[in-house]
Amino acid sequence: MNTMDWLKTAASQHKPMPILSFPGIQITGATMRELVASGKKQAECMKAIADRYDILASVSLMDLSVEAEAFGSPVRFSDNEVPTVTGAVVKDESDLEKLIMPEIGTARTGAYVDTIREAKKLITDMPVFAGSIGPFSLAGRLMDMTEIMVLCFEEPELVHATLEKVTQFLIKYNTALRDAGADGIVMAEPAAGLLSPNLIAEFSSPYVKRIIEAVQSSECVFIYHNCGNVIPLVNSIIETGAKAMHFGNSIDLSEILPLIPPDRLVFGNVDPSSQFRNGTPESVREATLNVLNKCAGYPNFILSSGCDIPPVSPFENIDAFFNTSMEFYAKADER
Amino acid sequence: MQGLLNEMSSALQAGKAKMVKELVEKALADGVSAKDILERGLLSGMDVVAVKFKNNEIYVPEVLVAARAMNTGAALLKPHLAESGAKPVGKAIIGTVKGDLHDIGKNLVRMMFEGKGIEVIDLGVDVPMEKFIEAYYTEKPDIVALSALLTTTMGEMKNVVEAFSNEATRSDVVIMVGGAPITDSFRESIGADIYTPDAATAAEAAKQAIMRLRGKSA
Repeated sequence: MNTMDWLKTAASQHKPMPILSFPGIQITGATMRELVASGKKQAECMKAIADRYDILASVSLMDLSVEAEAFGSPVRFSDNEVPTVTGAVVKDESDLEKLIMPEIGTARTGAYVDTIREAKKLITDMPVFAGSIGPFSLAGRLMDMTEIMVLCFEEPELVHATLEKVTQFLIKYNTALRDAGADGIVMAEPAAGLLSPNLIAEFSSPYVKRIIEAVQSSECVFIYHNCGNVIPLVNSIIETGAKAMHFGNSIDLSEILPLIPPDRLVFGNVDPSSQFRNGTPESVREATLNVLNKCAGYPNFILSSGCDIPPVSPFENIDAFFNTSMEFYAKADER
Repeated sequence: MQGLLNEMSSALQAGKAKMVKELVEKALADGVSAKDILERGLLSGMDVVAVKFKNNEIYVPEVLVAARAMNTGAALLKPHLAESGAKPVGKAIIGTVKGDLHDIGKNLVRMMFEGKGIEVIDLGVDVPMEKFIEAYYTEKPDIVALSALLTTTMGEMKNVVEAFSNEATRSDVVIMVGGAPITDSFRESIGADIYTPDAATAAEAAKQAIMRLRGKSA
């Protein structure tokens, strides 16, 4: 499909597009350990969500350990939690030189490409978005997140050299996701949300831009995700060339919407943790209405969660989110 | 002397560890007391960093490099402080709870605590409840600070608080909780004492709690 054209009318459909895939395991019965290792199970999970909800598009898992694992990072798996990278593999230049550029298929990268292929077969009535980590967030996992931020000052050349390597890999990986049929890619760059405007402009956005320029096409567009305090960083994020931006709940979305060009979509930002996971249907309704009341007047706004919704979030909370959106827009259409 | 200490504070704020080290050495050679260097040079610099961070004027990486610069200077002062009998403001043990491997928030809080002159014993990440209790008896801290980033691990905070509640000395320690999914109502529900939404506020709250615990005014 031509996703660029779809983007032009996506907001006017008034359907939410939360980062919602992990909770599908409550329907399919897969454990987290099984899910993150199997493209087929992931596609089934996405299909279960697509069947249950009137959602704008299907989004694959936000699993930010996949790409680092392909580079050799140790990863901890569990039956009910999203996998986590547990240690650094690049501590100095010699580690970086030894770092082997992974082929697509290394570790679980092949499974995640399969996910898109399978999901495209199962889900035919809406776009299917793949997920990928962003370059600074991947480099941070390879170097240790605290260390990379210090090294941005103390050894910037090492950070840039690592970013160069991960960018080359991410171009290959995102190309494979696109070629598997992804209508778009949600690129998660949350670690860049910790940076200052100067640092993000040096260590994240130019690399994101290179990946987008290499991979984005009319059939596969990028949604840039960052759940940090992005308001001071917004100009640099716009520079990446992403056609849409997805922001977390650490900002008031209505403060950033006026800063974004109207031809770029903005998604956000009901709190996944305190609302979807730990809230009640009433509190989710209130939080959803709060975002809608502030943001629905912008023609490029699409309601979403602030980040990926945790696996064991109660469906009654997710139902409340969708129902509130439906009621809100039904009332708005009546007026 | 104040000029030198101001210069040290500025270098620390800029994260210039090498310059901080040189200035601390110079101050010691000039006969400035280790206590003055710590309080009027290094900690006053970290105070500025904490305020700027809280006001979103600087960002996490700037805090990290400033804290490293402070630690470089503080390491030089350690033997002098021990010699003079100077004591830290108080003591805290800190760790990310069992099952959770995230450490940026915990590291920031540790650095902000140190910036307030609090001695910190960092237990690391994925810390089981038993290790917090064991560290409590060996270190005798004023503060036990628990961090969690995941919705699935924040429940472990409750287990740690309950374990402390079973100890006869629960009232002698202040339990602080923090991390992205934590809220004050969650803090209340598990019986912890203090929640703050950011690292700078956590350090200020910790210092005041220590003063209260030790019967001093902040």
